[in-house]
Amino acid sequence: MNKGSVKIGLFEIFTLTLLFELGTALVVNLGMESGKDAWLSILIGDCIGLFVFVGYAFLYRRYPKLSLTGYTRKLLGKYIGAVVAVLYVILFMNLAGRDLRDGSTMLVMATMHRTPLFIISVLMILSCAYVLHKGVEVLARTSLIFGVIVLSIGIFCTILLVLSGSIDINHLLPMLENGIQPVLSSVVHQNFMFPFGEMISFTMLMPYLSNRKKGPWVIGATMFLSGLLLSFTMALNISVLGADIAKRSPLPLMPTISKISISDFIQRVDILVVMVLIIGVFFKMAVFFAAALVGLSELFNLPYRKMVYPVSLIILFTSMLDARSFTEHLQEGGKLLYTVYPVFMLLFPAILILLSFIRGHRSPPRSG
Amino acid sequence: MNRKFLRGTVAALCCIAILGLTGCWDSVELNRRAVVTGVAIDRGPSEEEKYELSFQVVVADEISGKNARSTSPVAVYTGRGRSMFEALANASRQTARFLSLGHVRVLVISEKFGREGIKDIMDVLERDSETRLTSFMFISKGQTAKDSLTTMTVFSKIPANDLVEKLETTSRQFGYNFRMEVDDVVRGLQIPGGGPLINGVLVSGDEKKSDTNDNLKSIAPKATLKVTGIAAFKADKLVGWLEGSEAVGTALLKNKISQMPLLVKSGKGNYVSFSVYLSQVKVEAEADNPEDPLITIKITQQAGLKESPNNLDLTNPKVLNDLSKLLQQETEKQLTAALTAARRMNSDFLGFGEAVKRDNKKGWKMVENHWEQIFKKCRVKYEIDAVIRHTDMRSSSFQAN
Repeated sequence: MNKGSVKIGLFEIFTLTLLFELGTALVVNLGMESGKDAWLSILIGDCIGLFVFVGYAFLYRRYPKLSLTGYTRKLLGKYIGAVVAVLYVILFMNLAGRDLRDGSTMLVMATMHRTPLFIISVLMILSCAYVLHKGVEVLARTSLIFGVIVLSIGIFCTILLVLSGSIDINHLLPMLENGIQPVLSSVVHQNFMFPFGEMISFTMLMPYLSNRKKGPWVIGATMFLSGLLLSFTMALNISVLGADIAKRSPLPLMPTISKISISDFIQRVDILVVMVLIIGVFFKMAVFFAAALVGLSELFNLPYRKMVYPVSLIILFTSMLDARSFTEHLQEGGKLLYTVYPVFMLLFPAILILLSFIRGHRSPPRSG
Repeated sequence: MNRKFLRGTVAALCCIAILGLTGCWDSVELNRRAVVTGVAIDRGPSEEEKYELSFQVVVADEISGKNARSTSPVAVYTGRGRSMFEALANASRQTARFLSLGHVRVLVISEKFGREGIKDIMDVLERDSETRLTSFMFISKGQTAKDSLTTMTVFSKIPANDLVEKLETTSRQFGYNFRMEVDDVVRGLQIPGGGPLINGVLVSGDEKKSDTNDNLKSIAPKATLKVTGIAAFKADKLVGWLEGSEAVGTALLKNKISQMPLLVKSGKGNYVSFSVYLSQVKVEAEADNPEDPLITIKITQQAGLKESPNNLDLTNPKVLNDLSKLLQQETEKQLTAALTAARRMNSDFLGFGEAVKRDNKKGWKMVENHWEQIFKKCRVKYEIDAVIRHTDMRSSSFQAN
């Protein structure tokens, strides 16, 4: 990819970040480990995620023209750096595969019972591959259109829910029923990594920002905003369904939205949730996919279009061979969230920041 | 040139492939679907046939008119099985089309099943991705649930829709039934020491003639399907029926009343009628000592005077104030009736326990297990504020002159 020509504007990075963060997190039962205080653990996770992102932004400020794999090799040396960079590429492909499995299984559960998982996965990965074949810039512009759609669906559904009178704030009370401990446990196990820690993939895309100064600010602000939206959505789910039903639903947003019923005229709007799900999974997967592609093309000096099809095959089969059942898939994901991902999303970036400090003292970074 | 041709071919092939993928594997055309509008769940005779499910299916041709054979607009199919799902599968054998559960409006459970326990029924209703949480739940009072799906109704060709409309009318106009949907019942089952509330449904009149068109041929229908009291549960078992002021009081405490008539006795054999337009209810608890909580019920009501066939001077605000005092007493009576009924049935379906939990979450943990005993004797305070906003189109009655 020619970095000179590919540019992502501020608006586009706003919608891309928003869709990436909302992605699957909007529809799944995020943070429900903490019961009716899920919204709180999402907010705490958001704040921690923002703090982590400041670290990523710092690295970006230091090396504005390099991606994560780029400065990894610069800071850790040629060989160790290459190994770590390859690990990151594998991580991104794994994350994309997991999201693909999430999305396709949820579609099968929610609407298309008899359609083979494989067919849905193929269709989804093909659409991703097509957009990425056109380039990262096209992905960002696509997000502009879908961002508007997702936000208007959100506003529309919230207004209808309020009007249909299914919201009962009492379901959210009492706050902190079992103390702060379950909330913190949920934050540690899930919420600071998912979806906020996953912003690590944006370090691969940030070199394409057109506005280097404001770019990271916009991304950070969008992270905060999407955290608020996620928290609000989860609070909405709980106040409509009650903590118990929300906890037991893999997709609580769907029954919540299906409660919309305005004088028998506006009904069955839950199909909008399926739309949001498909859009969200698409962008989440596409961002990880793009991150893996950028990493690969930099590492092996290959034109990135040539890598689209092999990588999409890898993602497709990772997602298919990942687990036998959705339950197994979720359990695996739950473990990865607090064992493997923090290594990549916290530890390695922390080491990189430290190293860049040390290097910075020895010789001031050259501009370029 | 050759390359262009190749690209064109690939593009065309893709387009053709997309055509074959509409709706993927799950597509069922409309003419292969049978829309189920109501499901009745009866207790079968044995464990082998525990669930007896009847499905009310719309005969589309009868509804839309063109090819109508002036036969019944709906058909009811029954299947039995050890589980709900098996019963559904068995019922589908009799139908020519796929039973499509996406438009189920009502779910009727028989009283017999209600007394035995409904928790096993609820799982499939909330799990299935096709059924919706917005279906209304009913308990058929003293009859089989199937009866309430096999009654011809006047206003809607589809009896299930008619039942839904009846429920909405009664809840709008007369208060005491209110919308109870699948998820309300699931949540109700988990009220500690309490249980869900489910509307009752009843076929009154000549049940035997209810399922043919003849039922509608006379001006006074031979049998009518109607919404009746509220079935109260303790955990998942039906423990009693709430009627009259017990039911109204319960609906008030659940803050589900939009409008209701209210009669006040003023003087001997003389009633003044009101229409209560607005009732805002708050149930709060003061539970510093969870063993002896104080439940405060705050109600704000707005009413309009509807009937006053007597010599009261309604131009005098003082008279109206006195009447509103009586109104408050009447409301208190209703609330007390609901509370007494709940205590009699030993079930906290009113949700007082949840109010205590909201006020004192730590204390609640200590009393959670023996809440039923506390519920029986906890102190209750009423703070009722009723305002008579207007006297409709006349001031005093002509009898006042």
